Amino acid sequence: MVDLSPARQPREADARPVPFRGGGFAPGRNRWAGLVVFVALIAFFEVGTRTGVISSLTMPPPSAVAQTLWRLVETGLLWQNLGPSLYRLAMGSLVGCGAGILVGFAIGLFTLARAGLVPLVSALFPIPKIALLPLFVIWFGIGEGSKVALIAFGTFTPTVVATFGAVDGVDRGLIRMAQSFGVPWLRIVTRVVLPDALAGILSGLRVSLAIGIVLLVAAEMLGARYGIGAYILEAGALYDLERLFAGVVILSVLGLLVSAGIGALERRLLRWRG
Amino acid sequence: MDIRVRHASHAYGGLAVLSDIDLVAPAGKILCLVGPSGCGKSTLLRLMGGLERPTSGAIELVGAPPSGCLNELTFVFQHFALLPWASVEGNVRFVLDHHRLSEAERAEIVADVLARTGLADFAEAWPRQLSGGMRQRVAIARALAVRPAVLLMDEPLSALDSQTREILMEDLVGLWTRAPFTAVYVTHNLAEAVRLGHAVAVMSRRPGRIREIVAIDTPLSERRPDDPELERVQARLWSLLRDEAIDADRELVDG
Amino acid sequence: MTTLATTRRSVLAGIGAASTLPFLPRRARAATPLNLGVLRLTSHAPNYIAYERGYFAEEGFEVELVFFEAAQPMAVAIASGDADFGVTAISGGLVSLAQRGAVKVIGGALAEEPGIPGQVVLASNQAYDSGLTTAAALPGHTFGITTAGSSFHYMLSRVARGEGFDIAQVEMRPLQKVGTIVAALGSGQIDSWAIVPSISNRLLAEGQAKKIADMSQYAPDYQVTTVFTSSAIANDDRARAEAFLRALSRGVNDYNAAFVDKTANAEEQAELAALVGQYVSPDVPAERFLETMTTTSMRINRDLGLSVSSVRDQLDWFKAEGMVPADVTEEMLIDPSFVATF
Ligand SMILES: Nc1ncnc2c1ncn2[C@@H]1O[C@H](COP(=O)(O)OP(=O)(O)OP(=O)(O)O)[C@@H](O)[C@H]1O
Ligand SMILES: [Mg+2]
Repeated sequence: MVDLSPARQPREADARPVPFRGGGFAPGRNRWAGLVVFVALIAFFEVGTRTGVISSLTMPPPSAVAQTLWRLVETGLLWQNLGPSLYRLAMGSLVGCGAGILVGFAIGLFTLARAGLVPLVSALFPIPKIALLPLFVIWFGIGEGSKVALIAFGTFTPTVVATFGAVDGVDRGLIRMAQSFGVPWLRIVTRVVLPDALAGILSGLRVSLAIGIVLLVAAEMLGARYGIGAYILEAGALYDLERLFAGVVILSVLGLLVSAGIGALERRLLRWRG
Repeated sequence: MDIRVRHASHAYGGLAVLSDIDLVAPAGKILCLVGPSGCGKSTLLRLMGGLERPTSGAIELVGAPPSGCLNELTFVFQHFALLPWASVEGNVRFVLDHHRLSEAERAEIVADVLARTGLADFAEAWPRQLSGGMRQRVAIARALAVRPAVLLMDEPLSALDSQTREILMEDLVGLWTRAPFTAVYVTHNLAEAVRLGHAVAVMSRRPGRIREIVAIDTPLSERRPDDPELERVQARLWSLLRDEAIDADRELVDG
Repeated sequence: MTTLATTRRSVLAGIGAASTLPFLPRRARAATPLNLGVLRLTSHAPNYIAYERGYFAEEGFEVELVFFEAAQPMAVAIASGDADFGVTAISGGLVSLAQRGAVKVIGGALAEEPGIPGQVVLASNQAYDSGLTTAAALPGHTFGITTAGSSFHYMLSRVARGEGFDIAQVEMRPLQKVGTIVAALGSGQIDSWAIVPSISNRLLAEGQAKKIADMSQYAPDYQVTTVFTSSAIANDDRARAEAFLRALSRGVNDYNAAFVDKTANAEEQAELAALVGQYVSPDVPAERFLETMTTTSMRINRDLGLSVSSVRDQLDWFKAEGMVPADVTEEMLIDPSFVATF
């Protein structure tokens, strides 16, 4: 028998290590890098605006924005503006995403719904929802109706598309399996199609809700006295950069929170993926 | 309960897949189905299981199902078809939940099949945590839970490595010996066919027809891997299949 | 950005500038390029008149008209140097830019004057029918504004001051655009608004709203719009600003003579109306536009004089409302050295 253990092999003069070629393409996690970029950017703008290198016309000092934010909290103005916005966002996306998931399922499950609704959704998707704002005012009035409707409409189409894509992607083998065990239709939908489509639906919701936040500002262009969007618009009209940036920071934080919320939901509901 | 295929033919669009199949899977026996790749074995099994309708001919059930049977024709799939979001127990319960059973009955069935397949300790595990062999055990447990009249098994062991396959074959023999069930067992592996089949139906290449049915009389529990009698049957099956397999291999699909 | 009605001279100058051939003829006095911010409103008529009649050219300016949809972006464009001069209402945004040392008010334009058409307070038909027939009845109703700190907001505050009610009793509806407010008032989505006569007359004539008060009753000396420029020009390029104001004043004189004092003959009126109409309302027939101009034109201050007292009142109001920092001074906003002030 040949002895293949390396220790017994004579070391050749021209032996060289096998070059490693397998690295990269696998971005890892690093909490610090994000923070460092963030802090560096803020420090840069702070120094820049304080020294006048960055004109006060273009950028407020971050510390002034922080002060403005703090005043918002102190005076209760934050809640006065955040409350209505959260209500509009919640109602709008509840209606929009809810209807979107239902329609997405219908399209994914029924031939007739697919044939009838896919062209409609494709036609609705690219419409800039902001352009419809005046129409929404006629339909739903100048109060909360039009604002909720705008957000609902804006979140509806991406949710539909994500949902029916996810339903289409459901493992047909699992459906056949369920059928072969005589599992009733509705139960197949709730216990096979829904869980399998859930990952796709949740990542669709991530996009839809971000769009909802974007539309918040547009929705509050019309007749909103309070709201983060209205606050930003007012700050823009007054050319009050501190308030403008404070409002934008609030929206960003809102976006981060929504994204984190969905992340938590994913971790809970998609635990089985490990 | 027997399952009987009468002059069944099947085509997908213009592609004739099965031609005039006449076959009986007798009650309490395992019928193996072998044939070159693409000859329509899986299709025949789907026809027998009611997942598809034959283009012509008929599939019939003869006799009464066993008492307590919840799902007469029950599949075991090659790739297990487990719900990845349900635990082992959840997967078994999934096929029981829509039946009118008391919670006690359900729990009893689950405990029974998990014990029979050696999964009692894994009830809470996720499918992704299990090895291939364990996953197929879950699928078998799930199939047994509905007390099937006929088990329709499509290459249930072909996704497993050969050692695991050996162990699961022994398990299946054990299960059958303790409580004989009716099964149609599709496989590519002739060793499997001669170990598990009371009869082996050999199919021709596409459009598939039954070329020959070889009966094996040795009781399942007495078959050993190196049994010369079984090796002889296996050699005979191979000689029947060889030319068909070579021709089938050279065929252009969708030509 | 568009330049309409290019003059022959500007074409020649364009060729001269773009050409690499040194021996092409050049004019003795090279024209200074000047970007003038304008809105498509009748109150901007003097800009169009001075442009079309060559008053700017005679002062040596090569004017390019820069069109804006609203006053706010125009103010920002002047701060950023994309436009050199503009005419617009004093808004919170303009004051903020002045406080940052970016823009300066150098003259006055549109003004309320008793006996001359002025801004009016309107009520929607629905609100009018259910009792909003006087400005005193405004509390408890909605009032359309473009944005907080706009001239509409200020007008409401003057009405409130005059009628002695708290402005908080009126629910303001920020709708961003004048067009949206018009639609909202016409459909009864808002109850009231205050606006210049050129727009209010149309709404009244079409029966889309009812008049409930004149603004001049509450703010008789209201300096509605002002001429402003970047601080850089006001401070370091006085000659340019003075020349600009001279040219624009000639446009103002023509405008006042034709449409406000009506001392000009009908032919002159028609000519000026046609000249303004092509920018402001190209889709309206000439006779109708002429009628609009002769019946609804507000006074524009002679020689672009500025009512400092009115501007001061507006500034104080912005500060009191907390819309601009309390440390903004009149000097930051106004450079009174260019025109007569009162
Ligand atoms: N749903 C389908 N639509 C169209 N053609 C199909 C369909 N299912 C199977 N076929 C075709 O029918 C033929 C038989 O397929 P089938 O899967 O039954 O063969 P098989 O004997 O199980 O093959 P294998 O040994 O590879 O599992 C193949 O040519 C296949 O391409
Ligand atoms: Mg197959």
